[in-house]
Amino acid sequence: MKNYFLRHFQTLFFSLGQLWSTPVATLMTIAVLGITLALPAGLFVVLENAQQASGAIKDSAQISVFLKKSVSESSAKRITKKLAQNKNIERTRYISAREALAEFKKYSGFGDAIKAMKKNPLPAVIIVTPKQSAADPETLEALLKTIRNNNQVELAQLDLEWVKRLSAFLVLAKRGVWLLAVLLGLGVILTIGNTIRLAVTNRRSEIEITKLVGGTNAFIRRPFLYSGLIQGLLGAFGAWLLVQGGLLVIAEPMSQLTSLYASQLEISGLDGPQTGLLLLIGASLGWLGSRLAVGRHLREINPT
Amino acid sequence: MIQLENISKRYPGGHDALKAVTFNVKPEEMVFVTGHSGAGKSTLFKLITLIERPTRGILQVNNKNCNKLSNWRIPYFRRDIGIIFQDHKLLLDRTVFDNVALPLVVSGLNHREIQRRVRASLDKVGLLNKEKLYPLTLSGGEQQRVGIARAVVNKPPLILADEPTGNLDEKLSDEIMDLFYDFHVHGVTVMIATHDLRQLKRLQKRVIQLAEGQLVYDSENDDEYNAQ
Repeated sequence: MKNYFLRHFQTLFFSLGQLWSTPVATLMTIAVLGITLALPAGLFVVLENAQQASGAIKDSAQISVFLKKSVSESSAKRITKKLAQNKNIERTRYISAREALAEFKKYSGFGDAIKAMKKNPLPAVIIVTPKQSAADPETLEALLKTIRNNNQVELAQLDLEWVKRLSAFLVLAKRGVWLLAVLLGLGVILTIGNTIRLAVTNRRSEIEITKLVGGTNAFIRRPFLYSGLIQGLLGAFGAWLLVQGGLLVIAEPMSQLTSLYASQLEISGLDGPQTGLLLLIGASLGWLGSRLAVGRHLREINPT
Repeated sequence: MIQLENISKRYPGGHDALKAVTFNVKPEEMVFVTGHSGAGKSTLFKLITLIERPTRGILQVNNKNCNKLSNWRIPYFRRDIGIIFQDHKLLLDRTVFDNVALPLVVSGLNHREIQRRVRASLDKVGLLNKEKLYPLTLSGGEQQRVGIARAVVNKPPLILADEPTGNLDEKLSDEIMDLFYDFHVHGVTVMIATHDLRQLKRLQKRVIQLAEGQLVYDSENDDEYNAQ
């Protein structure tokens, strides 16, 4: 038994040596695998974050109450105070037409176009945040109705519809990413398979001789399997670097974007178990690709 | 040790390499197989080492029925045969030591045992001081001796040599043949394909001659030859 592990260990080092002896080819293979694996892994991370974000937004559902143009600022403030006393409402925030315009100018990029307008087209808004306890659809619906009954309100809108749509879209996107992952996983198998095929061809005479002195197919296969496994593992590590590096690059603009919707969102990369899974998938795909290629090409080499 | 009964081998395309060949090699015997190129010597060797399978006939090697041996058993079967090739078939990117060690490595022996046996085998062929060299730095005769060391490192009961002296001059050929003769004296069955008639005369061992895939002469049935 000790001998068995020792031999595997020796084969592992032999394979490492073989890869080391052709550094450029090995690096190229690993780079291809890294990019191939990074694509689904990266998309997965983006989706995961988006899902988390949409969840956070759902919890902080807000009602935008647009007031009629005719409502004066003082009566608008009165309405705001009155709403704040409702038992289902956590807090209210009044945004005057002027403030709304300023905010719109800042974020929309239509600043100049708006300057050209003589009159402020925006109405005053009250942002109503319901209590957590009132976050179920029926209570919100009832609350909405109460607010709409006020004849000074032009429109009251629950900002939840788009969140629902977003999460439906995310489910679809996740499916898409899985599909892509399966296809790219196949790509990894083919890439490794091709690399191993070349290695088998290069070492054809060695394989022949090993067979003639009584080497079993399992013995001959072993270094190639290790080679595939190592390359798959390193490829997965490369993908991890790409994903985490990519996240660093987009972290800044992303947090700016999310801060517009919900305040305390942080971008999370691949955590421990996810990293482990990525490495495991990379290694398994490398092993599998190698196994398929070696099995096929070993049969072509005589003697059997 | 080797029993052929009406062995025929037809290659795809219809070429008959062997036609109903029958002979028997006893344990510890030394046999020369001779004949022109294309007479079927190489095919015979390929059948005995199960590189190829006979089209017809019964083949037994080392008390094993080769007709019934399944593919996965072939490696274990070959570990009991030492095979020597005219072109050595050495691994040029490995040292002499590693080349000779290969049959032991594939059998999964531990390192100390491998070292002991490889040294013993290299000592036998007189190359103990060259174990760290690479095959290309050796002369033709030395390369052939590395091949022989590799073939006998497992201590197989049967040695097959295909034209082992094909590229060597007389003196080196004599040395190589004497090595085989020595293994034979120590109880190993030795079968050598050669068309070096000088060696046949010198060693006076059994001779089997093939011509166009048929057995045309076997000194065992030649009383005159055996009387000499």
